[in-house]
Amino acid sequence: MHSRRWRRPLRLAPLGLPLLAIAFLILCPLAITLAVSLFEKKGFWIRPALSFEAYRLFFDGVRLEVLERSFWVASSSTALMLLIAYPIAYLVTYRLRPELTRGVLFLFAVPFLVSYIVRTFAWADLLSRTGFINRLLIASGLVRQPVDWLLYSDFAVYLGLVTAHMPFMIFPIWLALSAIDRRLLEASWVLGERPSATFWRVTLPLSLPGLFAAAIFGFVGSFGEVAVSRILGGTGYQLLGNAIGSALDVLNYPLAAAVSTIATGLMLALLLLWYRLFDVRLFLGKIMGRA
Amino acid sequence: MTGAAVLRRRVAGALLWLFLGLVLLFLYGPLLPPAIHSFEGTSGAGPLRNYMLIFEDARLLRALRVSAIVGALVALIAPVLALLAAEAARIWRPRLVIGILLIPLFVPGVSMGLATALLFQILGLKPSLLTITAVQVLWALPFAFLVILTALSGFDQVYLEAAYMAGAGRLRAFFEVELPQIRQGILGAALFSLILSFNETIRTTVVQGGYNTVQTFLWSQYQQIGLSPPLFALMTLMIAVTLALLALLALLDWRRRHAG
Repeated sequence: MHSRRWRRPLRLAPLGLPLLAIAFLILCPLAITLAVSLFEKKGFWIRPALSFEAYRLFFDGVRLEVLERSFWVASSSTALMLLIAYPIAYLVTYRLRPELTRGVLFLFAVPFLVSYIVRTFAWADLLSRTGFINRLLIASGLVRQPVDWLLYSDFAVYLGLVTAHMPFMIFPIWLALSAIDRRLLEASWVLGERPSATFWRVTLPLSLPGLFAAAIFGFVGSFGEVAVSRILGGTGYQLLGNAIGSALDVLNYPLAAAVSTIATGLMLALLLLWYRLFDVRLFLGKIMGRA
Repeated sequence: MTGAAVLRRRVAGALLWLFLGLVLLFLYGPLLPPAIHSFEGTSGAGPLRNYMLIFEDARLLRALRVSAIVGALVALIAPVLALLAAEAARIWRPRLVIGILLIPLFVPGVSMGLATALLFQILGLKPSLLTITAVQVLWALPFAFLVILTALSGFDQVYLEAAYMAGAGRLRAFFEVELPQIRQGILGAALFSLILSFNETIRTTVVQGGYNTVQTFLWSQYQQIGLSPPLFALMTLMIAVTLALLALLALLDWRRRHAG
C-alpha cells in the first residue's frame, strides 16, 4: 500500500521539483520586491513594516513627472514600434517565399542579440554634433550648422528605444500571422471582400494575440528603460528605470522597490489580461506543434 | 487587371521592400561605428594599438574571466532547466507552465536585477559569480525554453511509446530515444543562452557586487570617464564574438535542416 501511495509523487518529482524551483526563482523575487516596497527605511537598512511611505514619496515628488513621461514615451514608442514591426511580420508571412522565412527572421534577430547598450553607444556617436549623420547633412548641403536636436533629445531616445526593442516584436506578430488559416482569407475573398477589408476584418483581428504580446514587450521594455535614456536622453532625461537606479544609488531600497513594483505590477496586469483573452497554446501552435 | 492597377501593385511592392531594407539599415548601421573608432589615435603605434591596450588592463582581464565562467554556467544551466520545464509543460498544465516561464521576458531589466538582489539579501547570499549567474539564467530561460519547445515539437511521441513497449523506463527512453533526436535543439538553446549572457548588462549591474563582466566593465567605464578608442576596440570585439556565435547558431540550424 505504502509503496503505491508514494509511487506517484516519486514519478512526478524529477520534473515537479525543478518546475517548483523555477517558479520560485521567477515569482519569489517579484513578491519580495512588493514586500520591501512596504518596508520602512532605517538609516542605510530597512525594517519590516506595512508603510506606504515609499509610494507617497514617489507620487509626491518630482518622480511623478518621471512616471508621466515614462508612460507617454513608452506608449508612443510602442505604437511606433508596432507600425514598423507589423508590416515587416506581414511581409515575411505573406510576401516571402517560405524557404526564405527563417533566413529573413534570423536577419532581424542578429542585431537584437548584440548588446543594445553597445548599439546605443553607437547611436550616440552617429548622432553627435561631429558624428556621421551631421557630417553627411553638411556635406550634402542640406544644413550649414550641425543639427543639435539629433542627440540628447526625444528624437534620440525614440530612435534608441525603437532599435532596442522593435526587432524582437516582429516574432510574436509573425507567429500569430502564420497561425492564421489561409482558407479564412480565401473565404473572405470568395465572399467578395476587398483586400483591405479582408485585412481589417479577418487578418488583423486574428493576429491580435501576437500584436498584443509584442505591444506588452515593447511597452514594458521602454517603460523601465535605463540605458537608452541615460545615453541618448542626456543627464536630465529619466525614465522609470532611471528612477529605480537613482533610488538604488542612495540606498533607498523601499523607494526602489516601490517604483519597481509599479512597473512589474503594470506588466503583470497586462500579461494577465493577455492570458485571459488569448490561449497561449494556440498562440505557440507553430512552435509546439498541435498535439 | 488593368495596366494601371498592375503598376500600382508593383510600386506598392517596391516601396514595401524599400521599407524592409531601410529598417535593416537602421538595425545594422550601429554595428559599424565602434570598429571605425577603434583605429583612432593609433598614429605611429600600429593600427592595433587600441586592441593591445585593452588586453593590458588587469581589470578587464578579470572581467573577461568572469564573463567566460558565467557564460559557460548559464549555457549549461538554462537549457537543462528549460528542457525540464518543457517536458513538464507536455504533461501538466501547459498554459500555466508556459505563462510562468515567459514572465522574465517581460520584466524590465533593472526591476529583475533589483528583485533578485533583494532575494539574495534575504537568503544571506553575498554578491558573487553565483548571483550573477542566477540573474542571467533567469533572463536566458524564456528564450531557451522557446527554442527547446520548438525542438520538442519536432519529436514524435510515438517513439517514446515504442521505447516503453520495448521495456525501457522513462529515463532510459529519454536518454536513448528522445535526447539523440532533440540534441541539436538543446545545443541551440545553450548557444542562445551563452549569447544572451555575454550581452547582458543592466540585470547584472544590480547584483554584481565587486565583480565585473565585460559588459558591466564597459558600462561603469562609460559612467565614470566616458568612452575612449580602447573601449571602442572592446565593443568591436564584443560585436565580433556575438556575430561569430550567431553564425555558429545559423550553421547548426542549417545542418540540422539539411541532415535528414
